[in-house]
Amino acid sequence: MRVSNRFIILLLLPATALYFLFFLVPTLQALVYSLYDWSGFGAAPVFIGLRNFRELLNDRVFWTSMGNTIGILVIGGVVIFGLAFVMTMMISSGIRGKKFFRSIIFLPNIIAVIALTTLWGYMYTPRTGLFAAVFTALGLTELARFPWLGPDTIFIAMMIAIVWAEVGFYLVLLLAGMDKIPPDFYESAKLDGASDFQQFRHITVPLLSDVISIGMVLWAIHALKIFEFPFSFTGLEPNPSSYTVAVYLYILGFGQRQPIYRLGYATAVGVMLLLAVILIVLLLRRVTRREVYQY
Amino acid sequence: MAEQSLQLEQANVLTSSRRRRGHFQFKQLPSYLFLGAWSLFTIFALSWVVLASLKTNREVFREPFTIPAEPQFVNYQRVWENSQVGQSFVNSLIIVGLSVLFILLVSAPASYILSRARFRGRNLLTMIYIAGIGIPYPLLFIPLFAMLAGLKLINTMPGLILVYVSLSVPFTVYILTGFFSSLPQELEDSAVIDGATDFQVFRKIMLPLARPGLITAAIFNFIGLWNEFQLALIFIQDPDKRPLSLSLYALKNSMTYSGDWAGLFAGVVIVVVPTVLLFILLSERMISGITLGSVK
Repeated sequence: MRVSNRFIILLLLPATALYFLFFLVPTLQALVYSLYDWSGFGAAPVFIGLRNFRELLNDRVFWTSMGNTIGILVIGGVVIFGLAFVMTMMISSGIRGKKFFRSIIFLPNIIAVIALTTLWGYMYTPRTGLFAAVFTALGLTELARFPWLGPDTIFIAMMIAIVWAEVGFYLVLLLAGMDKIPPDFYESAKLDGASDFQQFRHITVPLLSDVISIGMVLWAIHALKIFEFPFSFTGLEPNPSSYTVAVYLYILGFGQRQPIYRLGYATAVGVMLLLAVILIVLLLRRVTRREVYQY
Repeated sequence: MAEQSLQLEQANVLTSSRRRRGHFQFKQLPSYLFLGAWSLFTIFALSWVVLASLKTNREVFREPFTIPAEPQFVNYQRVWENSQVGQSFVNSLIIVGLSVLFILLVSAPASYILSRARFRGRNLLTMIYIAGIGIPYPLLFIPLFAMLAGLKLINTMPGLILVYVSLSVPFTVYILTGFFSSLPQELEDSAVIDGATDFQVFRKIMLPLARPGLITAAIFNFIGLWNEFQLALIFIQDPDKRPLSLSLYALKNSMTYSGDWAGLFAGVVIVVVPTVLLFILLSERMISGITLGSVK
């Protein structure tokens, strides 16, 4: 469509100005700040080159938090996509209550994470919590006393809650992809004597690959910045052993009880996060790159 | 003859696939069990919270699986008044309502232009918008804080709204451009022939057509911002200005001292009800909206 340049600029300007000024400019500023030593919003930043990044390389807490984040990304990703795939197959196998299952499984997705961590925190509480009550009722007193949120199991406990909360989104995505596959593909495959597995392997997987690839990119972006779950799963201060990169950055920059105010250093952590997003998205695109099936 | 038998066979396949829907098949049993167990857990956990919010604290611990003897609506009153949950609820309505309004107000025109107008740099600008979806918010914490401090907008609701609107623009533009591109060209063309101005075409023809897309974008932004926590945590310190998610977090932390679990669960219910209500009313639209940008 041909429209006047003035009209184009008028309609583009508000959104683009906000996006540039308050999103892209701070992004670029972050790249600059990461090269400074800056000990508080009132203080003057001092240029120190790449020293923040050199320090990061030897920062144990940083690598723990990066490890946790990548752990959530990879382990969570495998479990979430595995489950979403299985559920997609189950729901589209012609069972009844398709919409019901889809809606209920999706439901936790729209609930505030703080509400979810409150619920799960209570469920995991030893002795008085909900799981403990179930175990007590079943006579499993040992399990009822188990500290699920102790340092050894908190990560797994949190992963379970994350998977439960997130899987519905990817299920909906895959189901929508499934619905787009014309049913006669399966009909004619059946006529040709293809087994269920062959249909899955040669029709479902290739035709869903587009959706899977987008879903994985969305998950990666989401998982790398995960903050609320580790931040609010335990009590007041999250334990450094369960930091994610986003939590560590927050603690460095704003702290909780004792602000550290290492603003330049915290921003360098953010830059590493951005690098991780770029690397992983490129990697995913490369792995899942294939010809686009037109149908 | 051959053709006929093929048609017959197709008809058979059709009826057999139709039969699959209605009747129970033994090989579907594992699917029912798995999906049923999963759904049951979710329903159980959520209704347990609602029940617990209506119990006395004693009941929450002593009789975790019973219906409250007498519904304690006083729990709601207590958190609503004492813990500033009521104030926060109003704050959230204001912050989120205005944010969603401004997000659509700026994103809809931009998306329309990006999807329908031809001009130099269109693809580049679209790419720049999409790139915004990948930029992790934590990277922006410190630069944005410094910037808002300079504008004297820290710890103010307008400041948080400004941040919410700016950061939500890329995702919204992404959804809406997908939607605008799917609209037919003909109406636009005939309106131009009839002598409508550019703005009239947009305002009178395209915007009404895009309503389902705008509603979807509004729902997503509403739910996302209603539940938003980390940006609010950084930009709001004053308890009077807190949105609901921050209040719930404060309530959760004060639990360590108060032991008021029933009150905390009442707080959870207050936070959750608006989004769940939206979901119940509009789940089909939301679910189809998820795929707006991702599944063609």
